[in-house]
Amino acid sequence: MAIRQGLLALLSMGPRYGYQLRAEFEASTGATWPLNIGQVYTTLSRLERDGLVAPGEQDDQGRVVYSITEAGRTELERWLSTPVAPSDRPRDELVIKLAMAVTARADVRPVIQAQRTATMRALQELVRAKRVNGAGAAQLLVLESMIFRAEAEQRWLDHCEAVLTASPQTQETQT
Amino acid sequence: MSFDPVVRLADVTRVHGDGPQAVHALRGVSMEVAAGELVAVMGPSGSGKSTLLNLAGGLDRPTSGAVTVEGTPLTSLTAKELAALRRRHAGYVFQDLNLIPSLTAAENVMLPRELDGVRARQARREALAALAEVGLDEPDRFPDELSGGQRQRVAIARALAGERRLLLADEPTGALDTPTGDEVLRLLRARCDAGAAVLLVTHESRYAAWADRVVFLRDGEIADSTDAAPETAR
Repeated sequence: MAIRQGLLALLSMGPRYGYQLRAEFEASTGATWPLNIGQVYTTLSRLERDGLVAPGEQDDQGRVVYSITEAGRTELERWLSTPVAPSDRPRDELVIKLAMAVTARADVRPVIQAQRTATMRALQELVRAKRVNGAGAAQLLVLESMIFRAEAEQRWLDHCEAVLTASPQTQETQT
Repeated sequence: MSFDPVVRLADVTRVHGDGPQAVHALRGVSMEVAAGELVAVMGPSGSGKSTLLNLAGGLDRPTSGAVTVEGTPLTSLTAKELAALRRRHAGYVFQDLNLIPSLTAAENVMLPRELDGVRARQARREALAALAEVGLDEPDRFPDELSGGQRQRVAIARALAGERRLLLADEPTGALDTPTGDEVLRLLRARCDAGAAVLLVTHESRYAAWADRVVFLRDGEIADSTDAAPETAR
């Protein structure tokens, strides 16, 4: 999870309170990644333990402002310059569904078409969100990432359909 | 959105050739596009997308069924009347733009209007208005002097000049990068919101998603549409 590094990135712009970090984190990721305030403070105390951030004095309302340390900046730079490894994605139900449909010799084409239409509806929602004025640059990038993913899923469905339609093995089971 | 269909296809079939070699490009397709509506057509190659677009714009005639543009059934028209109706009501944007390299942007936009008998001065006035609308501020440049996105703007302006409100676009985002492709869709969308009916053929879902409705063609038939109620969730 990149919450640690996300908070470091925000703190690299200047000292901030916990509640500010939460609001700015959500604004940057287009609310696709909601954080609760508890997560923010837990993460901050771990960052403090690791010497990556330093708390300031408590103000009269008992709030503490946090700053990034030199070690924190080094960690942020390391993170930004390191490519992300393909992680253990949660198992994709759609992939399993199609694989099982093929194995069980079910008619896969309606499965593909139903998914294609559903994914297209989701894609339409994403484009609608993108067209709304006032989305910030960071939010737009997050939306684009979801659009590219949905697009990749559509292309994969097209590919599956083309391959399965061409293969005699699956045609036997289709009327 | 109005309920006034600018183009309507009723049970349209199109067969190319006959006998055992006959190819059924479309098999009983019915659909309509209303003013203010953007409809995208998707489907694998050979599914009948371009045939559908050509029939909707009167560039081709159906083997059976009816195509109606702005209330006029196309089947009853002579070739000459059909050509006139096409020029008056329908604009086309193709992947390979078909801009004439020896004419400036403005002259390219003027050309179909002049062919339609509009005087040069008025055609130029319309062309400049259409180019301003699509945000092109260099009307006197030649196509070679414009970027891919700007050329696409010229092609869209040409499709819109005059009072045409049916816009047919066949892969208008062709070889454009995604920000430029999005810009083309933003323009088409704006034309729709201003009252045009747009029928868009594309194989890229990211652009189809700009539509109010996405229709999936397969083997010449409508396989599905985002209009229908969602059947089941994943």
